[in-house]
Amino acid sequence: MTNKLLTIKSAKKKYDGGINALDGVNITIHKNEIVAILGSSGAGKSTLIRSILGLVALDEGAIFFKSKTPIVNNFQLLRSSISTIYQNFNLVSRSTVLTNIILGKILSISSWRILFNAWPKGIQMEALALLKEVGLEDMNLNKRVENLSGGQQQRIGIARALIGDPELILADEPVSSLDPETAKEILKLLKMTAKKKKISILCSLHQVEFAKYFADRIIGMNNGKIIFDKASNKLSKLDLNKIYK
Amino acid sequence: MKKFKEDLKPPFNIKSLFLIILLLMVFIISAQRVGMPDIIERLYESSLDLVGIKDSSKIGNGLSRISREMWPPVIESKKDTNLILNFDSENIPFNSYIEKSLVKSYEINPESLLLESTEENILFLVEPFGYLKTVIIKIIESIEIAFWASFISIILSIPLAYYSAKNYTPNKLIYFFSRSSVSALRAIPELISVLFMVLAFGFGPAAGIMALGLHSAGFLGKFFAEDIENSDKGPQEALIALGASKWKVLKLAVLPQVMPQYVAYMLYILDRNLRMATVIGLVGGGGIGQELKGRFDLFEYGHVTTIIIVIFIVVFIFDQISAKLRSKLIGN
Repeated sequence: MTNKLLTIKSAKKKYDGGINALDGVNITIHKNEIVAILGSSGAGKSTLIRSILGLVALDEGAIFFKSKTPIVNNFQLLRSSISTIYQNFNLVSRSTVLTNIILGKILSISSWRILFNAWPKGIQMEALALLKEVGLEDMNLNKRVENLSGGQQQRIGIARALIGDPELILADEPVSSLDPETAKEILKLLKMTAKKKKISILCSLHQVEFAKYFADRIIGMNNGKIIFDKASNKLSKLDLNKIYK
Repeated sequence: MKKFKEDLKPPFNIKSLFLIILLLMVFIISAQRVGMPDIIERLYESSLDLVGIKDSSKIGNGLSRISREMWPPVIESKKDTNLILNFDSENIPFNSYIEKSLVKSYEINPESLLLESTEENILFLVEPFGYLKTVIIKIIESIEIAFWASFISIILSIPLAYYSAKNYTPNKLIYFFSRSSVSALRAIPELISVLFMVLAFGFGPAAGIMALGLHSAGFLGKFFAEDIENSDKGPQEALIALGASKWKVLKLAVLPQVMPQYVAYMLYILDRNLRMATVIGLVGGGGIGQELKGRFDLFEYGHVTTIIIVIFIVVFIFDQISAKLRSKLIGN
């Protein structure tokens, strides 16, 4: 258990209408490991990521995070150690770059400071340093994120994820709404930062080439089931045929 | 293919024809009940009068009588000096003067029982802009009523909106009560609720403020709640995933999204309350409406014209300001 960070055991989830989003999924994520989940639309990738955060309640199965006791209903501790990056960035579009980054540290900011948007100086400095780290050193901190490009917004999303000092980052198709060039840059940034800061990543992706470049291990999903789970350099065409039927 | 054919429905069928006939019948019956034929007849008659085909019309006769008396607007005030307490002719207000007028009065002679007229010279204190000053003071009172009513409605609508938003209300019972209150407040028109408020707060601005404030709280509560429900779920989910509590999600992910719309609603409510504040005075809610009602009842239509012009100018100016503010806020 020492090297294990997150374990999902026999996860099952059936939506109304009888769709099996998760059908007995078993996954283990180790420390400092980057794992990509590949699969076509509706394979269950997003449900898996959302269920880890407790945003989707599992019908069956258990989630373990750095412990032998499963997480039951109390996701607060897990949420404080995990950050998420989204396909549509999920930033507060009318808020500033600074506020959006600081939201990643929401649990350590007092309520009255939140009420008046009076962010602690130390956290502001951290946000500034992270902006540099994600390649936006020239960015005006007081600019509203709605005025930024998709690539810039995702970089802010990464900075928001990093400011919480997570042990694990969940990324739900983080480059789906970006052009190939920007997508590659974002994945490169994410990979380099994760390796440098010793953060594990579980990332769902559509593009095989991106997954091979980005991940140490690739999990293939189809119809809520895991079809393969192997090192990215051992992935074969046959494996891919099984998930993209 | 068969299924496809079933899905392709003709634009009209016997059912829709029946529905159209039914609607038409309802229209005809309702039009008769509310006097629509009379409206059409009178409008037709007055248009013939306007182009000179007819000599007179009911609309023309009705309006021309009052319109002759409405012009010119009265801006000066003329007060009988005998009715002014402690009047000092040496110390009269700036820009005013004393005018001597011959006033004819009629009295019945108790001996002969005949109506006899007497003439008397009376001194009047004339203030050239005296009445305009009175109207301006009254319209300022109306503006104040509108402002305070809007303020009360904003304060009341915040908790109402929170508990009326499906995704934030603590439970179904609170949701039900909150939604019902919002609907009830909206359902009672200001002109009705002000009658009750007069009983509670007496004649004057307080009754008007409460009537307008409660009614617009219903509007704002509904609009705010719907905006909260419809705001982008993405940022909210991101904050929930970070472990934020409900109020933090509302403050940080919902409020920034809905704020421009909120401000636009608030401006609309202020604008609406300003227009309504001029009306509620008619039934005892204070402000310019009370003055308007008084002058109308005394058949002083020149004064009524002054009041209407001042109301129009104030509403027009406020309309311009709020339109600019609204476009600036939503535009950014």
